[in-house]
Amino acid sequence: MEVGQMQSRLADYTKSLFMEGILDAQFLQLQQLQDESNPDFVVEVVSLFFDDSEKLLNDIARALDQQCVDFKKIDAHVHQLKGSSSSVGAQRVKNACVAFRNFCEEQNAEESRRCLQQVKQEYYLVKNKLETLFTLEQQIVAAGGSVPMIELSF
Amino acid sequence: MAEKIEEIHSRSCECSPTPSTPMGTPLRKVLDRISGFATPWKRGGTAPRCRRIFHRDVEREEFQHASTHCLSSYYSVFVARLAIMVMLAILIGLLTILTWHFTKSYTTRSLNGLAYGLRNELLQRPIVRMWNILNSTSEITTAQLKLSEYVFRRYNNPDTQAEQVELYEAMRDVTWALFASRKALNAITINYRNGFVQAFHRDHRSNNTFYIYSDLVNYSISASRSYDINMLSEHQGWKDQSIHGNVSAIWYQEPLDPVTGEKMGKAKPIPPDDQINIAGLEQVPDGVASWHVAVSKYTDSPLLSAALPVWDPSNKSIVAVVGVTTALYSVGQLMKELVEVHSGHIYLTSQEGYLLATSTNASLVTNSTKGPKLMMAVDSEDHIIQMGARWLQRAYGNNFSQSNEIHAESARLGREQYYIDSFFLKLKRLPLVGVIIIPRKNIMGKVDERAFKTLVILISASLCILFIGCICIFILTNGVSKEMKLRAELISHLDARRRAEASSNYKSQFLANMSHELRTPMAAVIGLLDILICDDCLTNEQYGTVTQIRKCSTALLRLLNNILDLSKVESGKLVLEEAEFDLGRELEGLVDMFSVQCINHNVETVLDLSDDMPKLVRGDSARVVQIFANLISNSLKFTTSGHVILRGWCENSNNSFIDTGKFALDQKKSWPTHKAKLKRQGSHMKKASKKENKMILQFEVDDTGCGIDPSKWESVFESFEQADPSTTRTHGGTGLGLCIVRTLVNKMGGEIKVVKKDGPGTLMRLYLLLSAPVDGIEQYQVDFSKHSLVALLALRGGMGRLIMSQWLHKIGVFTIEASEWNELTQILRELFSARISVRNNGFDAQCSLSEHLKTKLQNIQEMRNPVFVIVVDIGLLDLSTDIWKEQLNFLDNFFGKAKFAWMLNHDTSNAIKMELRSKGHILMVNLPLYKSKMIHILEAVIKERNVELQKKNLNGLRTTKEGDLHECLEIDATHFDIASSDDSDTSEMASSNSVGGGDKRRERTRKPCSSGYQKINNCLVELTCTHSKENYLTERDPCHVRPNSHDVEDEEASLSAEPQGDNAECRERHLGSSRLTLQGNLYSNKAVNEQKSLEGLRILLAEDTPVLQRVATIMLEKMGATVIAVGDGLQAVDALNCMLSAEDCGRGSLFEDRNTRSQAEIRDSPPYDLILMDCQMPKMDGYEATKVIRKSEAGTELHIPIVALTAHAMSSDEAKCLEVGMDAYLTKPIDYKLMVSTILSLTKTTA
Repeated sequence: MEVGQMQSRLADYTKSLFMEGILDAQFLQLQQLQDESNPDFVVEVVSLFFDDSEKLLNDIARALDQQCVDFKKIDAHVHQLKGSSSSVGAQRVKNACVAFRNFCEEQNAEESRRCLQQVKQEYYLVKNKLETLFTLEQQIVAAGGSVPMIELSF
Repeated sequence: MAEKIEEIHSRSCECSPTPSTPMGTPLRKVLDRISGFATPWKRGGTAPRCRRIFHRDVEREEFQHASTHCLSSYYSVFVARLAIMVMLAILIGLLTILTWHFTKSYTTRSLNGLAYGLRNELLQRPIVRMWNILNSTSEITTAQLKLSEYVFRRYNNPDTQAEQVELYEAMRDVTWALFASRKALNAITINYRNGFVQAFHRDHRSNNTFYIYSDLVNYSISASRSYDINMLSEHQGWKDQSIHGNVSAIWYQEPLDPVTGEKMGKAKPIPPDDQINIAGLEQVPDGVASWHVAVSKYTDSPLLSAALPVWDPSNKSIVAVVGVTTALYSVGQLMKELVEVHSGHIYLTSQEGYLLATSTNASLVTNSTKGPKLMMAVDSEDHIIQMGARWLQRAYGNNFSQSNEIHAESARLGREQYYIDSFFLKLKRLPLVGVIIIPRKNIMGKVDERAFKTLVILISASLCILFIGCICIFILTNGVSKEMKLRAELISHLDARRRAEASSNYKSQFLANMSHELRTPMAAVIGLLDILICDDCLTNEQYGTVTQIRKCSTALLRLLNNILDLSKVESGKLVLEEAEFDLGRELEGLVDMFSVQCINHNVETVLDLSDDMPKLVRGDSARVVQIFANLISNSLKFTTSGHVILRGWCENSNNSFIDTGKFALDQKKSWPTHKAKLKRQGSHMKKASKKENKMILQFEVDDTGCGIDPSKWESVFESFEQADPSTTRTHGGTGLGLCIVRTLVNKMGGEIKVVKKDGPGTLMRLYLLLSAPVDGIEQYQVDFSKHSLVALLALRGGMGRLIMSQWLHKIGVFTIEASEWNELTQILRELFSARISVRNNGFDAQCSLSEHLKTKLQNIQEMRNPVFVIVVDIGLLDLSTDIWKEQLNFLDNFFGKAKFAWMLNHDTSNAIKMELRSKGHILMVNLPLYKSKMIHILEAVIKERNVELQKKNLNGLRTTKEGDLHECLEIDATHFDIASSDDSDTSEMASSNSVGGGDKRRERTRKPCSSGYQKINNCLVELTCTHSKENYLTERDPCHVRPNSHDVEDEEASLSAEPQGDNAECRERHLGSSRLTLQGNLYSNKAVNEQKSLEGLRILLAEDTPVLQRVATIMLEKMGATVIAVGDGLQAVDALNCMLSAEDCGRGSLFEDRNTRSQAEIRDSPPYDLILMDCQMPKMDGYEATKVIRKSEAGTELHIPIVALTAHAMSSDEAKCLEVGMDAYLTKPIDYKLMVSTILSLTKTTA
């Protein structure tokens, strides 16, 4: 595949991510922070996010399976997840977390479980999308092209 | 009664679940209805949790429920009523029947017993009589037999006729004696073997007694004797002979005196057996006594006859047959007497059913052709006896007599009911049956009647009770149903209210959520626009467009913020900050901002704050500014010409506000009433406020707009309410502004209202309860009187000029006012004519000055060595043509004698500014003019004068124009940005406002830049910096500001040296890109990559989320800061302690290798310049860590700035952060610029 083609495809893909609301401006900021001194900064942060989120999601799921659900703990976890997701710009995960926390406050176990599923779904969505994005970028780099900066046009 | 009904009702409720009762189904319905009423309550309890999801469905359902509610309640009430009535009816019916039954059955039973006894008695007596009769008959018969035997023995074997006659005579006498002794006897007969008959007969009716005898001739003893021998063997033959003999015999009847037995008449012959039955041998076939009932020809009653044979004692043969006949007439007589009272019937029958005796007069015999015969009972002439006999026959058959007794209590004979009782009397040879028939009516008649009457009365009474009961139930349940209806209505109202409240709550929540969601992209848009504006490759047009977009976005954001504010206040989440701020400065900035709009509208904005206003107050600056921004913008919206005045004074201070003299003279009259009112209001406020050092700050916003109708003075503060619906069309707006103002004012413990005012327009008055810092109360009083200043105010805006001149007068500055060019020239000429001969260059207006002004001028001219300050509004010049240059030239004449301060409009063209500068007018101030600007002007003038004086003193020295003399006073709205920008969520409002204002100003400032007027530009930059610096230094003594500024500038030079030294383009970017002019150059963008604003700073980052940690680290490192990241609060504290003890802190610092500083450097410098602290962390959260750090610092001079990082975007969280000792507050996700500015502001102040 032509490098140019791939670049445009990457741009389109990235744009679609923003259009769908999966990512937001925070991700752009992340990309802006990436430079020669930190060439793989975005990938690094995002993989950190993935690790962290997996752990948190597992913790939450475990806590929800308990006989008496410790909502305070779950709330703390969700809060952390919300913080990290908003930092990478995973907007929909963040929004799901906001909804989740509301139910945590209400101590509503059933809704919380539903929300957990929601969060997981959003998380896997963003994870897939980002992984695709990175694969694309790697392909471009492998093909000898450079990864274009995303236009500020959403 | 009512209780009973309720009881029934409750019982019906209780028993209703059992479907076995016939009432089950309707009652079930009732129960369902009742439970239907209860369900809303139940639902109310559980609703809130599930409401979130099913809210809409539930709501719809509830509405439907409410619509069917009325009908169903009617129905249920109807059914309940019916049920209760039926229950009542059943109850009363049962009661009635029971009562009747008990009353009746007992009487009936006892009466029946009595009746039985009676009947028995009645029947017994005739039977006993019968028995007696029988007995007596049998006795007499036996007696007769014995006597006959005696007589026969006496005259044994009478051989002769005479003996025979003698025997017969003796027999006759004996028989008579016996007959006479028994009156009841009908007849006694003796039938001899030879056929001779002797008989006595008594006719009871005629009361005659007869002796009947047969003719002796035909009988011979011998003949009969021979016959007698064979008697036993040939009994039948004997009989035949005798009959034959009888037939041929002649009988004689001889009437006798019944008492004496004497013969009374002649014997007359009668046919045999004509009168009486003579018992013959045939009646005693077996030789024992026999009974039978006979009927005589002449009596209608049956006769009872008994026959006995007389035996010959010697030869054992029957010699005669004795017969006794008794009439049963007396028995019938007795019966008649007995039943007469009871009108019943008694009769006796033989076993075969022949009537023997009855209580009636009916005859007992039938006259058939064969002679009289006994009658059967069933053939009786008496109906009742006939029917009774038939009934018995029918009921018991022919053999009823076998059973001994029969008692029928209600035999229906004809149309009446009768008691029928029968007794069987078993006599030997003559069994008897007695039957008594008594009409039931006679015995039970009264009882039955009574029972019937009782029943009727009971039924009618119970019907009455039922009727009344039903009416009562109806009335009562009517009340109950009404109450139920009301209650249901109340419940539905409560429900509706709850729903309304909930929906209002939802609305607020929704708005809060929505506006938050909207704000995020808006913030992104604005941020990106900022980046775009910084971009240097934009054309001017593009730049303008982008700026426009930014303005619009800001406006939109403001609207969103309004909504958020409102919903926050409504949901009670708004927490006011408590921070010190300079109220005056905030308001000045506000007025500056709005004046731009005002000038467009030809409206004058005036700020009029009294001197007693505290400089610093504690409160939520952003909210205070928001209040006034809303009020002023509202006023401006409706004011097309005139002025908008913002007045402010302090109520707490003891000096009356009239003394401050800041009010227009024409308004003073109306004040005393207000004053009294305010004082009253204030007095009780004071008590409360004194303790906390709170003060009441009174404000007024006065405009000359269209005004508000008095009826709407209250309602304009409601949300979405506008005084005139058409305003939305003409002016736009949402109607939220005043609502927010009111809620905010109330929140600050104040009040706002519309007050009546003279003249057109609106006067809004409000007071706020703000606390002043203890040391901030000291008010500086400027006093320029010693400088003998004279200010000539040549300003167009009348109100501003008036207020300013009054104030200047108060602080000891003489003022002269001029409102137009001609007036100005005249005054100038008057002023300086005495000293300088002014060249008349044609601008001399020929209008004469007023007397008042002249005296004033006179006074001024008497002053010794006055300093003239002429404040000229640029609007006085005729800018439409080129005349203004001439006017400037005219003013040049006075350049040496007076200092000119020019009031510029924001749109004053650069050509004019350049021209002014070229002429040496360097004091230029933007309108509007208010006190602090005036003070600056005066100070500048005084300073310049001092310099001039110095120059005069140093006579020989050449005067060069120093930078500091070239002061161009651009007093901007920018400065309050820095003061109030603590980058919190709540103050965003203010900053966004100020951004809007700043943009406009930036446009202004850009123009001279692009014109390449560098010198001024430099001055501009410097001065702006100066002002920024002033803010940092918190202006303890404003009089020192001016001298200070020199030093400050030197210090700042290093900071701003780069942009100054650079080319114009760079500077332009620098000026344009920065929201805060000071910090703009610290921005790290692509173009200025090498500029690392945080160079050399050491920052400790405590953050547990790895993602955030990494992002923040990179961000900070990009700006040149050295970052040490730790995972939690505990590590942060450890790291800090390690550094303090000058030890290498390796643990927990993930990026320690990045730390390029040497150990020595670490020892020399404070360990960290700043700590970024996440609030929520494992092990030890940010708050705890901060507390620990602050504790450890307690003894030392150190104070490491700690900035909180939190995802809670509420100001209450901020309060918590600040409470534990943090210095600032950043929200996640981290905003790049905000972080930098915050860090810088903290590090610089502590540096």
